[in-house]
Amino acid sequence: MLSASLHDPARASRLAGLIATPLLLLAAMAYTGFNPLLLADGDTAGTLWRFVADFFPPSTDGAFLHDLLRETATTLAIASSGLALAVLLGLPLALLTSRALERDTLCGEAPARGWQWLQRLLRGVLIVLRGVPDLVWALLLVRAAGLGSLPAVLALGLAYGGMLGKVYAEILESQPPQAAAALAASGASRLAIFGYALLPQAATELISYSVYRWECAIRASAVMGFVGAGGLGLLLDTSLRMLNGGEVGSLLLLFAALVALTEGVSRVSRAAIHSRAGGAGLAAGTLLLLTLSLLWLWPQWREAPFDVAGLWRFAQEFLRPTLHADFLVQVGNGVLETLLVSALGSALAFIGGALLALPASNRGPRWLRAPVQLLLNLLRGTPDLLWGALAVLALGLGPAAGVLALAVHTSGVLGRLFAQTLENTPPDAEAALRHSGAGRLACLCYGLLPQALPQWVAYTLYRWENNIRIAAILGLVGAGGLGQQLYLALSLFQLSNAATLILAMLLLSWGVESFSRWLRQRLG
Amino acid sequence: MVAACCPPNPKDNPLMNIAKLSVAGLLLAAATLSHAEALLKVSAIPDEAPTELQRKFAPLGQYLEKELGMKVQFVPVSDYAAVVTALNADQIDMAWLGGFTFVQASQRGKVVPLVQREEDSRFTSKYIVNADSGISKLQQLKGKSFAFGSASSTSGHLMPRYFLQKQHIKPETFFKSVGYSGAHDATVAWVASGKVDAGVLNASVWDKLVEAGKVDQSKVKLLGTTPPYFDYNWTVRGSLDKKLQQKIQQAFLKLNATNPEHKAILDLQRASKFIPTKAANYKGIETAAKEAGLLQ
Repeated sequence: MLSASLHDPARASRLAGLIATPLLLLAAMAYTGFNPLLLADGDTAGTLWRFVADFFPPSTDGAFLHDLLRETATTLAIASSGLALAVLLGLPLALLTSRALERDTLCGEAPARGWQWLQRLLRGVLIVLRGVPDLVWALLLVRAAGLGSLPAVLALGLAYGGMLGKVYAEILESQPPQAAAALAASGASRLAIFGYALLPQAATELISYSVYRWECAIRASAVMGFVGAGGLGLLLDTSLRMLNGGEVGSLLLLFAALVALTEGVSRVSRAAIHSRAGGAGLAAGTLLLLTLSLLWLWPQWREAPFDVAGLWRFAQEFLRPTLHADFLVQVGNGVLETLLVSALGSALAFIGGALLALPASNRGPRWLRAPVQLLLNLLRGTPDLLWGALAVLALGLGPAAGVLALAVHTSGVLGRLFAQTLENTPPDAEAALRHSGAGRLACLCYGLLPQALPQWVAYTLYRWENNIRIAAILGLVGAGGLGQQLYLALSLFQLSNAATLILAMLLLSWGVESFSRWLRQRLG
Repeated sequence: MVAACCPPNPKDNPLMNIAKLSVAGLLLAAATLSHAEALLKVSAIPDEAPTELQRKFAPLGQYLEKELGMKVQFVPVSDYAAVVTALNADQIDMAWLGGFTFVQASQRGKVVPLVQREEDSRFTSKYIVNADSGISKLQQLKGKSFAFGSASSTSGHLMPRYFLQKQHIKPETFFKSVGYSGAHDATVAWVASGKVDAGVLNASVWDKLVEAGKVDQSKVKLLGTTPPYFDYNWTVRGSLDKKLQQKIQQAFLKLNATNPEHKAILDLQRASKFIPTKAANYKGIETAAKEAGLLQ
């Protein structure tokens, strides 16, 4: 009896996981041609170093700085009005689909059949909206209706609207249901239940998530110019193509400043929500920002009209996906490549994030903390597409560069989240070990990590769901995956091929989301 | 009874009619707006850096303003396919197109080619290679990385691909990896930096960069030249006023290299003179695009 309890009851599945994961990752490495040793290779390092050395001094050319300022304003305006559109789209969809407002869950009333079908349809719409990466929405709108900042705003509105719709609904579902149930029992409407029961409970979380998405929208709109949709991306694209290091250097500094600015705004606004005056200030600030954004963008929209008729023609051509066997094989290869790039990149970022999180949360030498935090900001704040372009310089065209770009960028994201987890972990277990004479390493391995690891894995899986969409667009800068095929198809007006590729992206993103949810449930 | 006098016709869908009417209304509004002032909107496929395009166009734009008696505005566009879309959607009036983008535009709408440079009837592309690679023949590029220009480029993609195919080279399997630099000058930068081993670009841009001393000959070597083909032209949207089309064509044809002012314009366009052109000149490009699988 005693001997049996000494064994881990889940050892078979744990052992299988321990063996299968590295094997799968090694296979992915072989397929994508990603070899970490390549980075240490003299030629590779030399090419990259020459380009990076060119970043200094950053370009201070008058005409360039003038463009830089103008496009920064455009980028901020696109992000702000895009997010406003996303809220206008996402909030109603969340209210219509959230299970937290369902009378059958709240007070056991049988739902109407038609209503259930409508909800299923709307949830499907949300999946499609967020399953297509924002950059792909922009690419489609640019092809269909013309260049400029309007396609960028619409693209952000659609993709982020889908995301907000889902997350808002989930936030509402995670609230204690008593107040909502009481209102439902007294016959209140859906809107009334939301306004008087759930909104007061969830307002802080809803606003703080929206502000976080605004940060993301700024990073996203900074690269929309890669597909001709205005903002800083146009400058970045040109500087990178022409390998103009000084201009890229200025742009990097600007991105770092933008990240610092948005983080400051986020912090202030999260603090402001809690007081009445702060809330009013936040509302006024939002309105002011939105007005300024629209005033800034309006002249551009008048100059370059949006071709509504073109959109209609485009949609008709688009709705006939190619299903030839040869082409499907080609798409299948792209899907596999995208999947492996995202998985391998995320897994490597797990290691990178863990290594960076220890010093960032004060578990390493004290002097290391500030530089590591700076590094995390830099890795996270630099747009993923820019990492892609740099990785292509280092490793050459192809999926290996995609793996490197995702690993580097995601290490920054995960490093920060992992550090937060470490800081929130109760110190008791570690302290107990230390008092009983355990070494530093033993304290870490047996006191800290067992508590932090499940959360770390969950974060990595969440991030993987995001990375599958990034991997699908890295091809725009030559870093493998479905992106290059899609860009070619749209450039050559092969719209039915493009439709197939986008369907493949949707399926891939939906598949990874479902698989990751399943894994998280099993691990949690 | 209404049904009896008008038999239901699937084409008479009331929703479609409303859609058509509103589209027509929008187009009309757009047309009135664009004709409110005499303004010619001109663009060009971005085959070189945007600053270079603006520099090249400035004196030509002034000349056209004087000859046509109307304002001429250059609309910078960052993407080849977007120029085609904009021309087909009447968002711009005239564009500098490559042979392939012209074929795309005529397939997708009504456009009229006006003039071409004399040089465009026997245009070529140059294969270039990184000097450190020690490669001296096209066949040695097997297993190396290779850059085309933009996917929509005639001289940077379509024709080189077509000629490679004639030599039984399929880029996607012959090369280790294939990239698209986006523009001709970018291709040179990519090869010089070692980002790719080799690439192909427009012969005229290559000559210009070499003349201006912008190619580091110790880093980039010329590997070969393609056979000649038809390339670039100036094209207007089909709905542009016929008289104005003729005036534009005349203005281009009048440019004469013996006049120093004209010579400056022609030099920037890298043209000895402009000659009339017609859609039939680009039939060969269309065939090549179909054979290379770039046109359906």
